[in-house]
Amino acid sequence: MHRRTLRGLAPLLLPYCALFCAGMALTLAQSLGLFLPLGTGEATLDHYRTLLQDPAMAQSLGLSLFVALVSAAGSVLGGTVLALALWRMPPGLRRVGVVSKVGLILPHVAVAFLVLLFLGRTGLVSSALFQTGLIASPEEFPNILHTGSGLGMIMAFLIKGVPFALLLIGAVLFGFDVRLVQTARMLGAGPWRTFWSVTLPRLLPAMHSAFIILFLYAFGSFDIPFVLGESHPGMLSIRVYDIFFQRDLDQRPLAMAILTLMFLFAGLFAMLYNRFAAYLDGWRRKL
Amino acid sequence: MRHAPTIIALALMFLLPVVVLILQAGAPGWRFPELWPELSLDGLRFLAARPGPFLTALAGSLGYSLATVALTLAMTILPAQVLAFGSFAGKNLLEGLLLLPALVPAMTFSMGLHFIFIKIGLADTIPGVILVLSMISYPYMLRALTTGYSLMGREYGICARNLGASKWTVFLEVEMPLLLPAMAAGGSVVFLVAFSEYFLVFLIGGGSVASFTGYLFPLITSSNRGLGALVTLAFLAVPIALFIVLELVLYRYYRKRRMR
Repeated sequence: MHRRTLRGLAPLLLPYCALFCAGMALTLAQSLGLFLPLGTGEATLDHYRTLLQDPAMAQSLGLSLFVALVSAAGSVLGGTVLALALWRMPPGLRRVGVVSKVGLILPHVAVAFLVLLFLGRTGLVSSALFQTGLIASPEEFPNILHTGSGLGMIMAFLIKGVPFALLLIGAVLFGFDVRLVQTARMLGAGPWRTFWSVTLPRLLPAMHSAFIILFLYAFGSFDIPFVLGESHPGMLSIRVYDIFFQRDLDQRPLAMAILTLMFLFAGLFAMLYNRFAAYLDGWRRKL
Repeated sequence: MRHAPTIIALALMFLLPVVVLILQAGAPGWRFPELWPELSLDGLRFLAARPGPFLTALAGSLGYSLATVALTLAMTILPAQVLAFGSFAGKNLLEGLLLLPALVPAMTFSMGLHFIFIKIGLADTIPGVILVLSMISYPYMLRALTTGYSLMGREYGICARNLGASKWTVFLEVEMPLLLPAMAAGGSVVFLVAFSEYFLVFLIGGGSVASFTGYLFPLITSSNRGLGALVTLAFLAVPIALFIVLELVLYRYYRKRRMR
């Protein structure tokens, strides 16, 4: 690498190494039992062994993966459908899409509050059902939040995720040459065929990046699970928080070991998913 | 009307919550099983009587978020140029690595960083919070600026250099005006990320750095839903107001330079 290139990159590379790499290195070191406020000072893999043997960990991982997968897939699907629907509107009417910015601007904590207001046992949906006579008391309203199903969290992630996916996919779609679609139609392709062979392949890269970002965000996020989640089994991030802040200092390596595994999973997932998307793209082109 | 379903879906998902927030803010006593609240101004009165903590939290969040935008801009402007125009071995790998802080869970490196920050005295301080927020948000600025540079091309800069302009003049007079939209886009995202973050400010700030999310958090889990709704509305109003100001400033700038 040229010295000039290196000097140009320095303003970013220095803080990157000093903050990101150093922070991650210390998380890894503490997971091995090194550099702890209290400890033997010898490296050990015991904490990873403890984690792997804990059945509650598998449950937490399952819940994290489930919530992340459903919310990311739902957001990409919803965002794509909304983007296509807005795209078909006359340009003047298209501006109604601006209301989706509400979901982009509101912080995760505030969106979680909205879900509480609507879906809580004494929330608005429950009130509406009571008024229409479908339920006789708040106890009859199905418990949606804090049940271990992750449903409330998924709702909150969707409110944040759909406008995000809409923004990414819409950016591609609105800058898209309509003549491509018109040509396909003139050559006799039906609307479904046109969508499948012309429109969708051009949207896929944006859909893939939206999915990766949203999936990994939901997988590792803390704010929404902290408000809407449940402690059993609890998302992985909540488990880390519990161990880090609520238990003894000698349990800290356990929290750091979970974090290290989450980091590895996130990095590997992003890499493998990109490979997979490229492979699928190549396979489509061959057809 | 064939576009009605889209409009209804958008309204249900994004407009209805705002209407409910406004009603709830105007009716702290709105409870099960009423469908329509009895409006009162108790929430506003409560806030007007003790505005101190609210304003401190707002000022704190605004301050560190804007500082984060400035820091990420300073960190990424030269590297973005290198990534857009340069070519060197391992460029793709480096770009992938530089995007990692936005992809991997923020908890993973920030908890290790917290330990370092305690040792060097950055924990529980505003600079510490700004540093960690910059780390999770700079990839958005980097992406925006790299795209901005690629779209701009390097011809303008080379032209100005040939005519004898210094590096600084080229940057200030040629590149920056063309890059402003990319800076504004990246800056908006960075601001939103920093302004809405709860956990990192709580972890690194240790409760001594006042933040808006930290102010909202106890409200939403308490029974004071009216105040919670009021603060949530402020969360919506502050960034919107900022974005409008930004838009106006950019517009005036371009008109002055006759670029529009």
